[in-house]
Amino acid sequence: MTHNSGALTSEGLVATQRPHRAMRVLAAAGVALVAASCASAFAACDAKPGAMRAVSPNAVVLFQPRPAPIKVGELFALDVEVCATKGEARGVSMDATMPEHKHGMNYKPVVKKSAGNTWSATGFMFHMPGRWQFAFEVDTGAGRERVLHILTVE
Amino acid sequence: MVPAATVWLARVLRVLRATPAHLAKIGQVVLVTALMAGPASVAQTVATNTAAAPAWSEQEKRAIARHGPWPQPVLPDPSNRASGKADAIALGRALFFDVRLSPKGDMACASCHQPGRALADGRDRAHGRERLDRNTPGLWNTGLGRWFGWDGGADSLWGFALRPLLNPLELGASAAHVAQLLRGDAAYACLHHNAFDSTWLQPGTGATKAAQVPRPGSAGDERLMVDAAKALAAFMETLQSGKSAFDELHDALARGDAAAVARYPEDARRGLRLFTGRGQCAVCHFGPNFTNGEFHEVGIPYLIEKGRVDPGRQGGIKLVRADKYNLLGAFSDDASRASGSRTRHVAENHANYGQFKTPSLRNVELTAPYMHNGRLATLRDVVRHYSEIPEDRLHQDGEALLKPLRLSESEADDLVAFLVTLTSKTFPQVSAVAPICQPRK
Repeated sequence: MTHNSGALTSEGLVATQRPHRAMRVLAAAGVALVAASCASAFAACDAKPGAMRAVSPNAVVLFQPRPAPIKVGELFALDVEVCATKGEARGVSMDATMPEHKHGMNYKPVVKKSAGNTWSATGFMFHMPGRWQFAFEVDTGAGRERVLHILTVE
Repeated sequence: MVPAATVWLARVLRVLRATPAHLAKIGQVVLVTALMAGPASVAQTVATNTAAAPAWSEQEKRAIARHGPWPQPVLPDPSNRASGKADAIALGRALFFDVRLSPKGDMACASCHQPGRALADGRDRAHGRERLDRNTPGLWNTGLGRWFGWDGGADSLWGFALRPLLNPLELGASAAHVAQLLRGDAAYACLHHNAFDSTWLQPGTGATKAAQVPRPGSAGDERLMVDAAKALAAFMETLQSGKSAFDELHDALARGDAAAVARYPEDARRGLRLFTGRGQCAVCHFGPNFTNGEFHEVGIPYLIEKGRVDPGRQGGIKLVRADKYNLLGAFSDDASRASGSRTRHVAENHANYGQFKTPSLRNVELTAPYMHNGRLATLRDVVRHYSEIPEDRLHQDGEALLKPLRLSESEADDLVAFLVTLTSKTFPQVSAVAPICQPRK
């Protein structure tokens, strides 16, 4: 996970409630198994400097804002790389919301396929400081996978 | 006597948790006072100074830093080729005060945006040919905006200037009328030539045409009218107010000047803490201009009169998308249309209904009455509104952050005291000046 410095902090989205110890052990074992089996599929989405990484059971999204860091009230684009465990990522839609404020952005991003498993999206803008949640809806071929990532913009 | 006083002083400062830098400053004052007057006087001085300047936490300092520095630079507008040009500013200034812009010869921009009233009019709702639906916004620092008007129905400052110019209930001008004024007044024609005429874009072609004044006819008239609006915009870009007491605090904190920090009024200090802390006001009133430039529904009724409501931002989005004078249209001088990105991406959803633009709070003391319809007469009324905000009146899909603040009377006073410190201490003079033009060869 990449953490941008300064005005921006990021965090992967994990379970919000702390499960029972036995459940945690099982979950960890499960994650390890999934991670091992998917290592090759996710290799292309390994962490890169300046990029944030969001993970779900069946997909990894590596994304980088442009310009960086994200500033409140300024439009930015995202360069996105998507890796799926089964087959290829066929498409991805993107949005962002403020969960605590119960609203999204005032702007609608436009997503364009670049090359291979990469996309670019223009038209993001965070109009308030606080916690924002990116939502990537990935078409994995086997179904749609929702990959979330929260970051705080000051 | 003095050593005893010093020991006592150290105890007091420990209790009050003064910072070392602060302690040194206070120490100088206290020791001199102690030598002159003894321990009783020491106690009084320590209490006064420390109470006047409690240390700001690092978090609070970061919150304050986000509201500066001031002034902010107004960058040249790529959609307006006359932006920043002296001749365009001079033309815009003259037009701003010129009643000849209205066909009846009785109304100018300055009729509502009055220099003596912080470029607003002091009324609840503006009065044009008849009473209008919304409050006249003040124009100080308006060049820092990205959407203009309470509904954001204009995406540029020159597009904003065109709205009252063309509105039959305001100046009610036409392209032909404005063009005739620019052609017929020698000084205006000269300033226009200097500011705009080196090259001008052919509408819709993206090509430039060599210098010439647009000839009479509908296309040339419309071009001249837009140029007049761009001159008004160039003038409005210069309307930047100076530093306020808050900015002095901001700068003092940035350079670590404890004495200057201590000069900030104590009630305003408490109000500022509320503003950036529990009140969460700074989430929307964000940044150096104390606005995020976006739109929110804050529980102010939008019924204008029986059977007529103000849709606010929802109407504004429709307006700007349909506006041939928007930043994506042929009249923008930005060939890349990059400055129109916001307009291209703006999203319309049902939560927009009844939203209005977050106003800047700079000089807010001078622009009563408040809110999009001037419904609240005083700053105290505005603070009371947020203190008791009627949750049942808020849009279901609106900003979940809005909750009644339940402020005490003294907290409300403190918040008002803070807002008053956002009043600039200096303003550039805004008055009608007879235009002078030296024809450019």
